[in-house]
Order: sequence, then structure tokens, then C-alpha cells
Amino acid sequence: MTASPNPAVGDSTVDREIVITRLLDAPRELAFSAWTDPEKVVKWWGPNGFTTTIERMDVRPGGVWKYVMHGPDGVDYPNKTVYEEIVPPERLVYTHSGGDPVPGERAVQFRSTVTFVQQGGQTKITLQMVFKTPNDRDYVVEKYGAIEGGIQHLARLNEFLKG
Amino acid sequence: MSADKLTVTFAALADPTRRAILGRLAKGQSSVTELASPFKMTMPAISKHLKVLEKAGLIERGRDAQWRPCRLKAKPLEEAASWIDQYRQFWEESFDRLDAYLQEIQRKEADAASTPPPPSIPEIDSPEPTDDRQS
Repeated sequence: MTASPNPAVGDSTVDREIVITRLLDAPRELAFSAWTDPEKVVKWWGPNGFTTTIERMDVRPGGVWKYVMHGPDGVDYPNKTVYEEIVPPERLVYTHSGGDPVPGERAVQFRSTVTFVQQGGQTKITLQMVFKTPNDRDYVVEKYGAIEGGIQHLARLNEFLKG
Repeated sequence: MSADKLTVTFAALADPTRRAILGRLAKGQSSVTELASPFKMTMPAISKHLKVLEKAGLIERGRDAQWRPCRLKAKPLEEAASWIDQYRQFWEESFDRLDAYLQEIQRKEADAASTPPPPSIPEIDSPEPTDDRQS
């Protein structure tokens, strides 16, 4: 852990993020509202076969979004996120602070930044999930600090191994 | 894959030297001396890294040969990668649904804007007797 050929490695978020992009055939305002209007969110949130019930959706900095995802197998997955930044129709930042972010997976803390970029009549959405390390809980630092370091490199390494 | 096992895998991967070692082993088995040569590190330091990798099940050391070659074991990597894939799959499917939903909204809006106000008569599904004469 101590000696490293490149001590600079590991400081940027690139080491601990998952980035997913998608080009949507819709204007930016509409795409943004699909993320922030509870009536619209429930129409698409979650993988195939899932439905979502929103308990509370307070879209403003510090506001809480509580929702439950219902799996096709009848299992409920409660979730809680807190909004940090809302810049309509460009940017949305929220922190996942509880529940199962992905059904079947254990809860980890991460911050999502969603950006909406208009490209002609289309909108490019970029979702960046950065797994974070809360400073106040040592065991989390110990456990998830390792995950942060590993995620992106793992993805690359795995592709490299497959290729 | 259990969370603890996953943690061990990620912890092992969190170090750039160990990732470099895995990258080297992806090309084939290697001796500790060969593995150590690209790094400005002592052999004990390299051995320490190898122990972490071995404990995580990412590599195995040969027992047969004197030089105990190191080999890559791909399974934990694949399992850890599938953990990440869960997130990807979640979002790929959600984005598919979002895309379809946005199309639906826009179609409805376009219909509402382009079609004249709905006729006061109900929709005619079954043809009524019509008058075929040309006017």
C-alpha cells in the first residue's frame, strides 16, 4: 500500500466513478422534467419490471427524495436521496444516503451528477456516480475507500483481460 | 459474491502496483523477480503485494517449480466486474424506459397540437351504414 511507482494515482474521482451516457430523442427541458417531476419519474425509474412509489420528492437543495422500488418478484427496495444542486434544465446533483441503490446490492453511499446537454433536438444525458467516503465513519472509510480505488480500474482491467 | 469477498477484491485492486502486477500476469505467468523488475521496490515489498493479491484470490503461486510462478486467477475479477455491471444494467434499462416514455409524451403532445378538436361524436369503430353516393 505504501510504496507506489506513481504516488499521484488515486486522487481524482476517475478512480471511483461509474459514468453512463445516453442520447435521448427529446428536448432538454422535457428530459430534465422527467427526472424532477414525480409524476414523470415513476413512469420510467428502475429496470424492466420495476415500479416506483414516491413517498416524498422535494426537489431543492437539501430536499429529500424518498421512494420505494417494487421488484417484479414482489420485493420492495426503499431508497433515500438528498438533493444537493438543481440547475434546470442542465444539472442535477443528489446523494444517495440510504437503501438499496440497485436492487439486490448492498447500500453504498454515492453522489450522482446528472447533466443534460442539448444536441440539436436531442439531449445527451450523462450520469456520473461517484462513490463517496463519509469522513465520520471509520469502518465505512475502511470498507468503501477500497471500493473507490478499485472500481474504474477494475472495469478497465476486466476489459483488458477479456480482450 | 459476498460483500466481504468483494471488499477484499476491491481492496486488493485499490493499489496501482498491484494492478500493474495483474496487468503483467494477464500476459502469462511470471516469476517474482520478473514481476519486481519494473518497480523500484525491494523484493519483500513486492512479496507483500503478492500476498495481498493471493489472499484476495486474484493470483495463485505455483507449488511445483522452484521459482513458484505467479498466475492470474480471473474469477474474483469477473465477480467484482459483475457487481459494477448491476449498476450499468440498472441504468441501461432505466434509460431505455425513459427514452420510450419521452417518445410517448412527445407523440401525445404532437397529436394534441396537430389534430383539430375532437369531434363531438364518439369514435366510430364499427362502420355505420354509410351513404356511398358521390356528391
